Amino acid sequence: MTRTVSSTCPYCGVGCGIVLNVDEQDRIRWVDDDPENLSSTGMLCVKGRFGTTFVNHPDRIQTPLIKRKGRFEEATWDEALDLVANRLLEHRGHFGSFASAKATNEDAFLQQKFVRLVMGTNNIDHCTRLCHSPSVEAMLQQLGSGATSNSYIDYEEASCIVLVGCDPGSNHPVIASRMRRAIDSLGTKLVVVNPRRIEMCDRADLFLQPRAGTDVALFNGMARAILDEDLADRPFIEGRTEGFDAFVSAVGETTVDECALVCGVPAGEIRAAARLFARPPARRGLPEGLVPGSCLVWGMGITQHTQGTDNAHSLLNLALLAGQLGRPGCGVSPLRGQNNVQGCGDAGCIPDSLPGYQSYGDAAIIPFEELWGAGLPRSPGLKATDMVEQIASGAIRAMYIVGENPLLSEPNLHHATDLIRALDFLVVQDLFLHETAELADVVLPACSFAEKDGTFTNSERRVQRVRRAIAPVGMARPDWEILCDVARRMAPGAGVDPAQFAYASAGEVFDEFARLMPQIRGISYERLEREGGIQWPCPSADHPGTRYLYADSFPRGVARFVPVRQHAVAEETPDGEYPLVLNTGRILYHWHGGTITRRVAGLMEQVDTVPVAVHPADASVAEIQDGDPVVVFSRRGRMGGRAVVTDAVQPGNLFVPFVKLQGSAANFLTNNVYDQESRIPEYKVCAARIEKKRERKGAFTLRS
Amino acid sequence: MNLNGRSVEAAGSLLDAVLAAGIALPHLCKDDNLPVIGACRTCLVEADGRIVAACSTPAAGVQECATDSERAVRIRRGVLELTAAMQSRAGGAAGGPRSAESSEAYASHAPRPGQHDVRTGTHADLSNPFFSFHEDACILCARCVTACQELQHIGAIGIAGRGHTARVTPGAGVSFRESICTSCGSCVAACPTSALRPKG
Ligand code: SF4
Ligand code: FES
Repeated sequence: MTRTVSSTCPYCGVGCGIVLNVDEQDRIRWVDDDPENLSSTGMLCVKGRFGTTFVNHPDRIQTPLIKRKGRFEEATWDEALDLVANRLLEHRGHFGSFASAKATNEDAFLQQKFVRLVMGTNNIDHCTRLCHSPSVEAMLQQLGSGATSNSYIDYEEASCIVLVGCDPGSNHPVIASRMRRAIDSLGTKLVVVNPRRIEMCDRADLFLQPRAGTDVALFNGMARAILDEDLADRPFIEGRTEGFDAFVSAVGETTVDECALVCGVPAGEIRAAARLFARPPARRGLPEGLVPGSCLVWGMGITQHTQGTDNAHSLLNLALLAGQLGRPGCGVSPLRGQNNVQGCGDAGCIPDSLPGYQSYGDAAIIPFEELWGAGLPRSPGLKATDMVEQIASGAIRAMYIVGENPLLSEPNLHHATDLIRALDFLVVQDLFLHETAELADVVLPACSFAEKDGTFTNSERRVQRVRRAIAPVGMARPDWEILCDVARRMAPGAGVDPAQFAYASAGEVFDEFARLMPQIRGISYERLEREGGIQWPCPSADHPGTRYLYADSFPRGVARFVPVRQHAVAEETPDGEYPLVLNTGRILYHWHGGTITRRVAGLMEQVDTVPVAVHPADASVAEIQDGDPVVVFSRRGRMGGRAVVTDAVQPGNLFVPFVKLQGSAANFLTNNVYDQESRIPEYKVCAARIEKKRERKGAFTLRS
Repeated sequence: MNLNGRSVEAAGSLLDAVLAAGIALPHLCKDDNLPVIGACRTCLVEADGRIVAACSTPAAGVQECATDSERAVRIRRGVLELTAAMQSRAGGAAGGPRSAESSEAYASHAPRPGQHDVRTGTHADLSNPFFSFHEDACILCARCVTACQELQHIGAIGIAGRGHTARVTPGAGVSFRESICTSCGSCVAACPTSALRPKG
């Protein structure tokens, strides 16, 4: 007999409802879709449906591990926790922590409470630094909130969808299905902007292929076209924005034709895209009296550049210019990668604000200090990428990393590994002994999503329940419980009341979180049980939640145009030695670095070597055939993979997903240079060279 | 509406009303999560004296509906005999979450074996790592095709051929692995037999 437990998918930010069918041996036998779930409406993708077997994988860490003389030894929880507490007390003042966008809101909330209250620092961050920090930065400056403004239902009610630098078919498959539904049945227009031809291009009305790193030129060109053709939404601009004149004069510096020369997209296509976005023809069935809307949807193609924040500004300017905000069927959506990357930021696992994006000013921080009974640090902490770089200066000497594997996700991995090795003390809390965990002094076994209660917040701000479906594997425990145990041990030494870390359940943690974050104050486990997921802002218990933001006003009052200009396309550009541009991204069958999906047999059967997409022209120069083993080099490293010869990439470009397979990963090659404002690394552009892997005659090889 | 002698609310289709009243009725081509196909005829009921497919008949406008009249049951048994003849080998293997729907229909209607020639297709596609397809258990209800097209909007599978040669396929001469299938598993979730079944 199987039991069924409804929960939320642990993979991407879509946040599909899943129903786990569990047998008597506590194994997940089947994952069903959930037609009641408003985010996924009965759909799932391969990862949600078939990708959860990792929870029972034999590689799960079963006990706490302590490294003695260079080797891990199994330990009891008490031994491990005592050691962690004692060592961390010594390291207050030069400590940093990474939280996990895969863990629950409750885990994230507890972690930032531990870091701020017990460790006395704001050095806490998570992977949003590596994906959407420029979007959040730009949206906070221009709109006053860093969240997606609309809902997935808006993609189905839009008259036009503009997809920029993202590949929803691979990375947000259920969102892709919802978009296809709209396009196929309602005639919704689709504009794809991507240097690479993605699957959604099959349905696109327009496909713009800019040169890597020229996004500002392209979007300024579109803005110029909107102005030239008088398609701007004047009433919206006058009533609800500021900074328009400065923006107009910046955009006025270049003509559409000049922009076209820089970005490589023909001027006619720039104009056509501008018209479709600003004034789309009404889709079928648009209710009488509604203005046709356009949704602007983007991903890492915008953000992971040294000018990532500028790129995001140029997109937001377009939305303001065309007035495509604050109505049904329009809005701005940075597609969030991880299941709980929205929630991890909401819960305050970021260095520059408290839970709920509240700054460290008196008005916001005093309620925290009163509730927690101690003073809190008020200066912004270090951002994730800076924390790692600051190990070199000694500013960071101990780290506590939960559910992240920076030694696959940071750029220039050889450099990052040297830095992490130099730490005095490293605690890693996770499911598997991954590259970062191998370097830890103490490893603590954490529960997977299937073994604990909690909530995730998805890309459309919907807070949804995660429910315990199976018993913890081995001695694993929920992250928040482990953190409470460490915190209670350290509390006396840190001058904190240990009762601050005594909770009976995940629900109690959520209650405290909801009390301190005004946007979710009206949400409770009891409501989630009754109503299903609720979208924040939900300020009170009788508030139904919010489908789209900015209907009447912006959190900062009026929205602001931020003029930006195209600068150098990238920090490193091709030259004689490294003649190609290396672009990185993801594929459907693997999840990010692959720590999880490498442990799902069927996904490995689909893809077991890193595919390297190369244009036929470049392939023939290097004498590479489709399927050949290849080696890709950059100034920082090399990696092996298998050639996929395809004109989906432009001549002069390579595309490699950043999953690590057979020991090879793109991040050995990527460049550790950063966007000034957000400190995101430039994963999307570096100079590279590809060669066919040379057969070593007579040598023994495992696979060709 | 009067349903099997009970008064019920006439909302949605007759099938909706029947299922809402807690009455069992086969509906092998209608998935609770998918639009109506109306192809399998296993949901036939007697409505105001006529035999109609419950899944595609609106309840509004019907006064008397019987799922259990002698005539309705006899005709459904006949349909299920034809359905069973499409499967050269049905039983045994574990299918997806809705795979019991066909065996339950057979159990409640006792179709007599040997009434029709059995379809002989035995094509099997084991190429996808997560699920397999077995023609010998397929009743051509088209739920999988609908799930792929109407729910996920992928359109990777269709029914090719007619009559005895009709077959669910991800394209002529193409295996699931080679097709545009994204392995979302919605077809496996929808299949009312074990023709599409999860691996492992
Ligand atoms: S689309 Fe995302 S949330 Fe939905 S099943 Fe796939 S990975 Fe999970
Ligand atoms: S369920 Fe009514 S015809 Fe198939």
